[in-house]
Amino acid sequence: MIAKPYLSFASLIILLLFAFNISAQSTITVVGEVLKPLTLSVSSLSKMKQEKVIVEDRDNKEHTFEGVPLYDILDSAGVTLGGELRGENLVKYILVQAVDGYEVLFSLPEIDPEFTNQTVLLATKVDGKALANGEGPFRIIVPNDKKHARWIREISTIKILFSME
Amino acid sequence: MKSIWQRKYILSTWAVIAVFIFAFVVQNEPEPYIIEYPAYFGGRFSIPKDNPTTQEGIALGRMLFYENKLSKNNAISCASCHQQKLAFTDGKTFSTGADGLQTKRNAMSLSNLLWVRNFFWDGRAKGLEAQAVFPMIDSHEMNQSLDVTVEKLKETEIYPQAFNKAFGSTEITANKIVKAIAQFERTLISADSKYDQYLSGAYSPTEQELRGMELFMTVPQPQKNIRGANCGHCHGTPKIFKELFHNNGLDSNPTDIGRMEFTGQEIDRGRFRVATLRNIALTAPYMHDGRFKTLEEVLDHYNEHVQPSATLSPFISDVSNEIDGESLALTQDEKKDIIAFLHMLTDSTFINNPKFSNPFKS
Ligand code: HEC
Ligand code: HEC
Repeated sequence: MIAKPYLSFASLIILLLFAFNISAQSTITVVGEVLKPLTLSVSSLSKMKQEKVIVEDRDNKEHTFEGVPLYDILDSAGVTLGGELRGENLVKYILVQAVDGYEVLFSLPEIDPEFTNQTVLLATKVDGKALANGEGPFRIIVPNDKKHARWIREISTIKILFSME
Repeated sequence: MKSIWQRKYILSTWAVIAVFIFAFVVQNEPEPYIIEYPAYFGGRFSIPKDNPTTQEGIALGRMLFYENKLSKNNAISCASCHQQKLAFTDGKTFSTGADGLQTKRNAMSLSNLLWVRNFFWDGRAKGLEAQAVFPMIDSHEMNQSLDVTVEKLKETEIYPQAFNKAFGSTEITANKIVKAIAQFERTLISADSKYDQYLSGAYSPTEQELRGMELFMTVPQPQKNIRGANCGHCHGTPKIFKELFHNNGLDSNPTDIGRMEFTGQEIDRGRFRVATLRNIALTAPYMHDGRFKTLEEVLDHYNEHVQPSATLSPFISDVSNEIDGESLALTQDEKKDIIAFLHMLTDSTFINNPKFSNPFKS
């Protein structure tokens, strides 16, 4: 039949178009207890200083994730890190939310180089390529977490909040 | 000088009077209702401060839920599409509204709504109070403005009194209607299925139910010979509900774009809210468009007919019981095991609870 390959070619084009749209259109926002709320895209992130971490993913193979340390992003939003991370600021937390509604939480010291040696990364690339659909455009990599439940994919929002207890 | 006895007498008279006054003043105060749920459900919910749950508020909400006057043709209530015996669904692919036309999507089961934050198949309504407005004014549902509803209820005998009991004044407003319905909906808790009884140690599942439960909750790892269906990734936790939005591969190019219609984001194309699977054996047909008549068809979908697209969840596309497998690759028996587990989620206490039934029929 002639129709079939033609159809699947058309759907491939459609798929490619969607794929392109997804990363071009997507942004993440940094809001909450910040001095300057941010809206970041893949291209605005690419203008910040990039770092790489080499880690094993779920497939038990080593991968090089590339992106911007979460610390740098929060610092540029004016979050109380470094010297300011004391007193009541120690009960602030980072709530990271994905488009599918998945959510995970970090405390500020977990990402601050004055407290920890690991670099929690907001990755946009793996092994030199943009993150795949369903994983990217933005994913958090937490090198020291043995279980990858906080390596949250498809991030949409980063909120800095105070524990109200 | 008054004797000590006289003083005591005066004091106690005052006390009696105070109690009387107090009783009179608080007579109109609705009685708080404590919502009970198993500890394994967790307490991650919030009830709006301006709408505390009360006995009288719930009673009014229940009346309104079963009230045909909320619809333009006086023939449809919430319960027309949300019937208790079907875990508050209607057994139809699409429901017929007060304008005689069909709803765009399948009526959702109403249970454990206390833990839902974004309502509807696409999550477009935040909170139960906001949600309740939609069906009332939607032309394919009740098709009547809240102002008209208020007028109709004012003319009745029972409602001004019921509003008085619930909110301390006979005045009927749209806001109070919505609040009372939300209060009633918060009490619709399903937590007495065989699965709950198993969790609390009161029921021992059959071999087949246990196998199904294990498969449902497990991520398959063919390299390690671990078999699973990964359902729990989206439908897991003891609530058998997680508030997530996914494209579960129904169509490559969906006509109903789901959450994208609400967010405008390409990444949301074909994503729908992960539905609760509580009482799932009672809530056929399945999916947002009621396309599957049976649970067998649902399992065939996940196992054999997942449609690829850019937004298909990787928790479906990248999961298989075969190394580099293209599909889930469950056996026929494993599919039956999972269905046996899904039947454990039927809660007959919930669907027969007299507190949720039609208050106008007793
Ligand atoms: C004509 C049928 C119909 C009527 C009448 C109706 N509903 Fe619904 N209900 C639906 C459909 C269809 C959906 C799913 C709609 C969607 O997602 O777009 C739904 C969804 C819901 C949900 C969302 C559940 C969830 O988990 O997100 C709630 C709550 C609800 N209805 C409550 C009510 C209440 C309260 C009333 C009366 C005021 C009512 N419904 C009247 C058909 C109906
Ligand atoms: C990636 C997340 C995901 C996984 C994994 C998943 N589901 Fe679903 N499920 C969904 C979504 C989203 C819907 C609603 C889809 C729609 O209606 O468009 C759904 C709907 C359903 C429904 C219909 C609910 C209703 O009220 O109509 C059933 C039954 C169901 N899933 C069973 C399963 C079973 C069994 C498995 C494992 C084999 C499974 N699901 C795996 C996301 C998932």
